[in-house]
Amino acid sequence: MMRDGFRVIADEPAKRNPLPSRRFYFWLMAPALILLAAISLYPFFWLIYMMLHEVQLAPNAPDTWVGLKNFTQLLNDKKFLNGWLILFKYSAFCMVLEVGIGLILALVLNNSRWETVLVTIFLMPMMMAPVIAGLVWYYLYNGTFGWYHWLLQSVGILGNRSILGSPDTAMLAVVIVDVWQWTPLIALIVLAGLKRVPQDQLEANMVDGAGPVRNFFSIMLPNLYPFLLIAILLRFMDNFRFIDAILVLTGGGPADSTKILPTYLFDVSFKYFELGRGGAIAFTLLLVTIVLGMVLVRMFEDPAQKMNRPED
Amino acid sequence: MASLDIVENRSPLRPLGRALSILFLAVFTLWTVLPIFVMFVSSFKDLLQAFQLPAVGDWGAIGIFFDFDPTLAHYYNLFANLNFGTYLFNSLAAALGSAAISVVLGSMAAYSLSRVEFRGKKDLFFWIISTRMAPVVAVLVPLYAIFRSAGLIGTLPGLILAYTTFNLPFAIWILKGFFDNVPYAIEEAAMVDGASRVQALREIMPLVAPGVGAFLILCVLFAWNDYLFASIIGSGGAKTLPPATRELVQPQNIQWGSIMAAGVVTTVPMLFLGLLIRRYLVTGLTMGAVRE
Repeated sequence: MMRDGFRVIADEPAKRNPLPSRRFYFWLMAPALILLAAISLYPFFWLIYMMLHEVQLAPNAPDTWVGLKNFTQLLNDKKFLNGWLILFKYSAFCMVLEVGIGLILALVLNNSRWETVLVTIFLMPMMMAPVIAGLVWYYLYNGTFGWYHWLLQSVGILGNRSILGSPDTAMLAVVIVDVWQWTPLIALIVLAGLKRVPQDQLEANMVDGAGPVRNFFSIMLPNLYPFLLIAILLRFMDNFRFIDAILVLTGGGPADSTKILPTYLFDVSFKYFELGRGGAIAFTLLLVTIVLGMVLVRMFEDPAQKMNRPED
Repeated sequence: MASLDIVENRSPLRPLGRALSILFLAVFTLWTVLPIFVMFVSSFKDLLQAFQLPAVGDWGAIGIFFDFDPTLAHYYNLFANLNFGTYLFNSLAAALGSAAISVVLGSMAAYSLSRVEFRGKKDLFFWIISTRMAPVVAVLVPLYAIFRSAGLIGTLPGLILAYTTFNLPFAIWILKGFFDNVPYAIEEAAMVDGASRVQALREIMPLVAPGVGAFLILCVLFAWNDYLFASIIGSGGAKTLPPATRELVQPQNIQWGSIMAAGVVTTVPMLFLGLLIRRYLVTGLTMGAVRE
């Protein structure tokens, strides 16, 4: 509504000061928080119940209290301990490749003439469902009609092995799918950081006679550090979160060489339906994630990181 | 920039560096595009042609990749015989449903969390973000048990609720950062003019609408691309595209053409949505930690 050329917000002047009322805000946030509690806290308590019981899936069969048996069992469970080991191995592989390639990509991409076009192209794998990405790569890796299998054989590195069928190549194959899909994200994060490297520092350094290599190590890298850390933490947590591609590509095989812990948890809970044991494994996984989350939240609050934000 | 020109290093290695970076970009572009390209092309090949491959080391025969008669048979097969229309609808309903719930409730909560201070706010935030970061399989274990006794397995409401476990904390967290950037002075000024709190909130709506819309789309994308929840909680009555595509992989008879066509059907809408919210994408994918 307009009056005398001004937009009218309210017809009458303020009668009482609405500012001191905080109740309005609490009412506004209540529905979301209640719903979130119902779908996250309630299942969490349920998880604690499950991990202390032997859960029966048949109707009317009562769960039996077993105390910490599910956990003591885990200590002797080779696949469980191995799952953690492989998970960290898998994440480490992904991280080294993704950060390495992503960093180079961002440096090359920064101020390139085709930056906008190329970034748009590089976004495509990220938009894909991880299962679909897994399926496409499963096709490319296939031993009889896969083009990447043919390529590797033609170059002469592969020999007669099947990529997903031999334990020594399967891990790398799974890592490569993750690298394919998520390296561009790391590059984009680094790129955002590069745009915020203070130009005056660079110029000063160059006036002092530093070359591009020196510039990179003494000015750019220290400024990029918080961005790299965030990228690594986010990807690390996503490696815990998503197992879609691995499920499609190898299902954890061959010979459990790609059975990272979440994949094992999936098997225990939804193949063997041992929900009590699954609950215990899930709990250990959650615990580690929460610790990682604490580190991440610290990063969000780091004043050095805030300084690097644009002046919005 | 003038000063930059003067101190620019003129090294004999410069042209070499430039050539290398162009080579790197070319290789990386090819590497990124190739799998998607193969998916598109293979979805138009009939079964036999999709299996054609040159002999090992026969580089000259690469051209047979393009040697095929384009056919839409796989797409027809998906929707006519394999029931993909229903799965497409389920995907849409589940993704839109959870995105709408998450963004509506989430923006209300985010707005108030950005405007009011209280004790324990930090802990509240930690709870919210750790809900979002929790491994999907770990969330799935208790959720499956609960949904089973509640009869929500294999239903769309169950799936929507499951997607809300990651979309709602995402929406609250990211929109809180978004509302923090809207100056409180605007609402204050409106309230001084006599507006109530709701009217003041309406004043900032036009400012936040694009961002809220972008994060709504991002929520749709997260839910649409999910496989784990859909395969366990949606199995049966609420199958979505990703598990339906996965099920085409049979031990005996893998229907590659149909799988690739299903992949295209699942991927193309998300590619467009991704382009649409390009400006907010990195912020969204990094939980607001990085802004472009």
